[in-house]
Amino acid sequence: MLQIRKLSKTYGNGVKALKDVSLDIPNGMFGLLGPNGAGKSTLMRTIATLQDPDTGTIRLNNLDVLGDKQAARRQLGYLPQEFGVYPKITAETMLDHFAVLKGVTARGERKNLVEALLQQVNLWDVRKRKLGTFSGGMRQRFGIAQALIGSPKLIIVDEPTAGLDPEERNRFLNLLAEIGENVVVILSTHIVEDVTDLCPRMAIIALGQVLLSGEPGEAMRALDGRVWRRAVPTAAIDDYKKRFTVLSTRLVAGKSIVHVLGDGKPEEGFEGVAPDLEDVYFGQLRHQAANAAAPASASAGPSATAA
Amino acid sequence: MFKEIFGFELRQQLKSPLFWMIAFAFGAIAFAAATSDSVQIGGGVGNTHRNAPLVVLQWLIAFTLIGMFLITVFVAGAALRDFEAGTAELFFATPLSRKAYLGGRFTAGYVTAAAVMVFVALGLTLGAHMPWVDPARLGPTEMHTYVYIFGVFVLPNLFFVAALLFLLATVTRSLLSTYIGVIAFFVLWQVAVISVGNLQHLTLGALIDPFGFGAIDLATRYWSIEDRNTRLPELTGLLLANRAIWVAVAAAMIVATMALFRPDREGLKLWRRRAKLTAAAAATVRASPVPAVELRIDAAARWAQFLKQARFDTRGVLTGVAYLVIVGFGLVNLGASLGFGNEIAGTKAYPVTHLMIEAMQGSYNFLLIIIVGFYAGELVWRERSAHISEMTDAYSLPDWIPLCSKLVAIAAVIVLFLAAGAIECMGYQLIRGYTHLEPGLYLSYLGLNAFGFLLIAALAIFLQVIANNKFFGYLLIVLFLVSRIALGQLDFDHHLYDYGSAPGTPYSDMNGYGHFLAAHLWFRSYWTCFALFLLVLAALYWPRGTALEWKERSRVARQRFRIPARTLAAASLLGFAGIGAWIFYNTNIINHYVPRDLAKQRQADYEKHYRQYKDLPQPRIAEVKVDVDMYPSSRRVDVRGHYVLINKTAAPISDLHMLLPTDIKLISAQFAPHDIVSDDALQGYTIYRLKQPLAPGASMDFDFVVQYFSRGFRNTPNDTAVVANGTFFNNFSFPHFGYNEGNQLVDRNDRRKYGLGPVPRMAKIDDQAARKNNLICCDSDWVNFEATVSTEADQIALAPGYLEREWSDHGRHYFHYKMDKPILGFFSFQSARYQVKRDKWNDVSIEVYYDAKHPYNVDRMIDAMKKSLAHYSEAYAPFQFTQMRILEFPDYASFAQSFANTVPYSESIGFIADLRDPDDIDYVFYVTAHEVAHQWWAHQVIGANVQGVTMLDETFAQYSSLMLQEREYGVAQMRKFLKFELDRYLRGRGGELVEEMPLALNENQDYIHYRKGSVVMYALKDYIGEDVVDRTLARYDREKAFQQPPYTITTEFLDDLRQEADPRWRPLIDDLFTKITVFDNRVTEASAKKRADGKYDVTLKVHAQKTYADGQGKTTAAKIDTPIEIGVFARAADGKEAHQKILHLEKHAVEDGDSTITVTVDSEPYEAGIDPYNKLIDRVSDDNRMKITVK
Repeated sequence: MLQIRKLSKTYGNGVKALKDVSLDIPNGMFGLLGPNGAGKSTLMRTIATLQDPDTGTIRLNNLDVLGDKQAARRQLGYLPQEFGVYPKITAETMLDHFAVLKGVTARGERKNLVEALLQQVNLWDVRKRKLGTFSGGMRQRFGIAQALIGSPKLIIVDEPTAGLDPEERNRFLNLLAEIGENVVVILSTHIVEDVTDLCPRMAIIALGQVLLSGEPGEAMRALDGRVWRRAVPTAAIDDYKKRFTVLSTRLVAGKSIVHVLGDGKPEEGFEGVAPDLEDVYFGQLRHQAANAAAPASASAGPSATAA
Repeated sequence: MFKEIFGFELRQQLKSPLFWMIAFAFGAIAFAAATSDSVQIGGGVGNTHRNAPLVVLQWLIAFTLIGMFLITVFVAGAALRDFEAGTAELFFATPLSRKAYLGGRFTAGYVTAAAVMVFVALGLTLGAHMPWVDPARLGPTEMHTYVYIFGVFVLPNLFFVAALLFLLATVTRSLLSTYIGVIAFFVLWQVAVISVGNLQHLTLGALIDPFGFGAIDLATRYWSIEDRNTRLPELTGLLLANRAIWVAVAAAMIVATMALFRPDREGLKLWRRRAKLTAAAAATVRASPVPAVELRIDAAARWAQFLKQARFDTRGVLTGVAYLVIVGFGLVNLGASLGFGNEIAGTKAYPVTHLMIEAMQGSYNFLLIIIVGFYAGELVWRERSAHISEMTDAYSLPDWIPLCSKLVAIAAVIVLFLAAGAIECMGYQLIRGYTHLEPGLYLSYLGLNAFGFLLIAALAIFLQVIANNKFFGYLLIVLFLVSRIALGQLDFDHHLYDYGSAPGTPYSDMNGYGHFLAAHLWFRSYWTCFALFLLVLAALYWPRGTALEWKERSRVARQRFRIPARTLAAASLLGFAGIGAWIFYNTNIINHYVPRDLAKQRQADYEKHYRQYKDLPQPRIAEVKVDVDMYPSSRRVDVRGHYVLINKTAAPISDLHMLLPTDIKLISAQFAPHDIVSDDALQGYTIYRLKQPLAPGASMDFDFVVQYFSRGFRNTPNDTAVVANGTFFNNFSFPHFGYNEGNQLVDRNDRRKYGLGPVPRMAKIDDQAARKNNLICCDSDWVNFEATVSTEADQIALAPGYLEREWSDHGRHYFHYKMDKPILGFFSFQSARYQVKRDKWNDVSIEVYYDAKHPYNVDRMIDAMKKSLAHYSEAYAPFQFTQMRILEFPDYASFAQSFANTVPYSESIGFIADLRDPDDIDYVFYVTAHEVAHQWWAHQVIGANVQGVTMLDETFAQYSSLMLQEREYGVAQMRKFLKFELDRYLRGRGGELVEEMPLALNENQDYIHYRKGSVVMYALKDYIGEDVVDRTLARYDREKAFQQPPYTITTEFLDDLRQEADPRWRPLIDDLFTKITVFDNRVTEASAKKRADGKYDVTLKVHAQKTYADGQGKTTAAKIDTPIEIGVFARAADGKEAHQKILHLEKHAVEDGDSTITVTVDSEPYEAGIDPYNKLIDRVSDDNRMKITVK
């Protein structure tokens, strides 16, 4: 169980990356959803002890993460959003090196561990290949392998599926699902489907604030009967946006389909749909944008990105 | 399109803070160099103006050179910008031409670099016009000087550098590789410069130097002060060729860049490896239980992690091409230095290990500064640059592990680098057939060296960590290095505040590291403590995570500052303070620390206070009897001496002015009843007033006890007189009487700075009063000498005189020496563990005292002594002693010096000369013959201490030795030798600080009395005949030997010479001795025609010109009134000039200017020349000969 309380962080350039963030994250997969620049990575890095907040506390099963970083690091597996490799070193050598740095110093034990991890992330066959030759998905899997060293209680994966092809993504998510049964796994992403597919619990974060946290199903149920869909001419989208709370527009076979939030049927031609997580997500963003001063909404962006 | 790219890039460059930083830094350094003596990059020496065109030229070129490393950023930056920023594909997807793209980027980088040089020029001009700059040292600042320098040197040089960098950057797409390229180039350039040092390769050296230093040096080599202040080398001849070659090379590189440029992602690959296709990974995820492991944090685990990380980092560096390339180039550079170094007159020394190590220090180890500075940055930021730190920073790894690993990696890099150099040196030793390898010595010396660099590494790591940015870190390191130089220049030279520094550890085969080692190690320990403290700080501030702001880093550092860090910090600071206090106690309390400026101030005070007593009559020392007890291992000498002083003046003497060097302690001075008028301990100047003045002709006893005792260690332990093995000092450590002009400040600028008048010149030749003193000493004439010297049991102690008795007492070794006739008041005392080799020439016993490691040339020395004694006795006068000795001393100095029957001889100048090649100049023979000749030319005939005096000892000794050498080694070697002498004379003229004097009036000027002396005396002999010269010398010796004051002067010799020589040679004698005569003789055309009778008519077009120069180098044309030698030579079978057969060699009357000379020779001629053996002083000696075209 990870408890985050009143975490705030303002950068030197005045950007408020975290505003009073509090979250309770139980064992299992936890999805952290938010647009680019929402503060997800700041939150992740803070939990990963790489950065101190201005205020707030983080506790992992009674351990004060910020107070005793070294102890926290022993329970931590972290896969950063962007990471590099030494291109001329093989996967096996590199993982072995990481294992030592993490504290697996007994040689035999380490060898077994490295082998098992490479098999688990399905890199066994390419263990002798130089990391520089790895594809994006292979690199991500290598990244998760290093995060798994030492059976961490808390695993943080920051936007791991960005840039992966569908098959790689599937494989990666399967891997995460497998791991995330007994430990806390925080998956940060801006791809709604990742959360839908994997996470029993989630939070939506934007502009440094937690907009919603809970179970995806519950959140979707809250929108039951309030999401409406209609095919519209592309040219008319702007007009719709003015008139309704448009959650998303997407092209399906050349036609624009808009999702609109409304307590009743907005107008003729709309039909009700069962809300999905994406509707929840955009709903939250629209809500925040509406509450904030008009210019602030620009960053939340009205257009939907579909995976 | 070009314009757009160019403009865009230029704006980028000029917007970058780096440009302004570098521009201002360079401008500031230039400003400092121009306005103070504290920062020197070349610069004006002596009479050359601070802003003389040639000085400005040297400065600006030096800046193009230093700038290479920083300018790389601009040019390589321009080439790499798009690949680094990832914008490359955006650019190359546009229809942009390669020429426009590369051309625009290159030109912008080049212009930026040139802009930096404009700042340098501004700094120089501005600096020279600051109010505190002495206007006497300035010439006019002229715009066209700068324009010319920029046009001919700076811009082409920058063009070359920029083209090189651009090519490297484009081809390698890596800033690192580009830097390696720069280093590689730098090293190659060094090789070229070293090869220029050798006279034979001047032309080649001038051409292969892309910066034009060689060509400039060649063009201005013999420039007088006047030339230096008014001229710049003209763009003709070699300089033009050099410029043309390198601009063309640069242009070719640009063309190559265009051709090799690849816009694609891979860049240029010299070899393309086919990617191996691996089978697609099986899609199934294998169920494999991951074993539970324990993450350990115990000490053993920490140690294992440290080792692993250290190995990983070390391997990362060592397997990098960068490191291998740097080592490779270092080795090439070292090879060149080994190959060309350690030569005296072209003859090599045996490759003894300490010479090898000195070669490494001179030409190899400097790369370590770059390596350490560079890899500190690379390693500290290694994880970060590779974007791995985001992962590893979240591991529970203590901060000290990466920090210490980086340090270990740098240490490994340093050690392997030095080891590679040592192996090369040992290889070189073996190639030279020298098998006495000393791995232990290499180990100890390189250990000491490595340690110094490790301290720099610690600092570099600290600076990188604090800077929190690689390039800012680099800048801080450069600033540190610059400030270190500046501190030294500003006379802040105490090692207590110069980070990482320590006194050097010169090694002598005789004395090992001697007393230098202890001082060195204390300072090293002191700085090690400080380095440890810096490392603790570095650990506290070790970058982890994404905390970038200083405030946050400090907060983290405070969190990390727990017990281990506190303990270590406290311990290191305590050690630092404690050892510092101990050092201070040693260097400043039991020894005196006198910074250079204070020493100069004291010299100035000495002159101000005491010069008034310069001509005060003093009694003269007539008898010296001393007991000298040497304790070499405790570096102590006790002297009990007895003088007999005589008043040789016509008036009573009441005041006795006693001088004693300040490091000698006066225990007692006992003589006639007296009062102490003043006792100036700081200057070692005591004035006594005798109660009863010493009457004319009367004598008095003067007994003294003095002690030299070197306690502890000094900041600069260059007190090498009394050392464990190889003690050598002379009687300047004893009391002397009367003001000593030798202690005065002589540098013109120093004198001005400390408020003294113009440089005191030697007494004029017609100064009759000055003739009361001879060259050697000012308070004695010929003295009776007797000494009892003692030393440690296993050493031999020596002093002039014959050994009367030798005995041992209380574990000490005693020797009693006595001279049977009066000698000059100049005695040496030596003690060492000697081997002795004895021989005899007639009734004269010959002895060489040498170190067991240096037996090589002992027989040759004995042979040279015998031949010298034989020749000089016959040619000049009988030898006055019954014994002649050579005594080796450590190479803290490299000279040989002649005392009565005794010649101390440095281990470095003869004992290790490698004379196995018979074609090499045998300088052991030459030096030995020279020193033995001093037994005549100094110890028989000594001149008055006025202008010209050194001609009477040094020039004559040179001549005596030359004649012996010619007999021994032949005319060809003579030419080789004289060419070296001529070159050194001509270069010496250019560096003259005061005024060049004719030989017979020279004021103890080395380049005149040795170098010009050799050439002049050889020419004299050549014209008037050796028999006449020898006859004159013999007559002069007869007339003046053992003469009492007034002492002889050069005019007396020249009078003898004019009488002995044919009257037609009088103008020649004037030209040689009393004027500064310079010829410009050359062959402009040489052809030959075979005649019907098989002989050849050789026709030479020659140009001959004689000029007289004044003391500042201004010349006036003169008429040639002596014949000049014309020679014709046949080709030698082996092609060597030395082995050419002479077909014709005669003196011909030659007209001024151009003329044609025809001679007939018997067989086919090959080469002809005017003054072909360089017997006359000729500004350019290489154009005297020419190959003959046979028609």
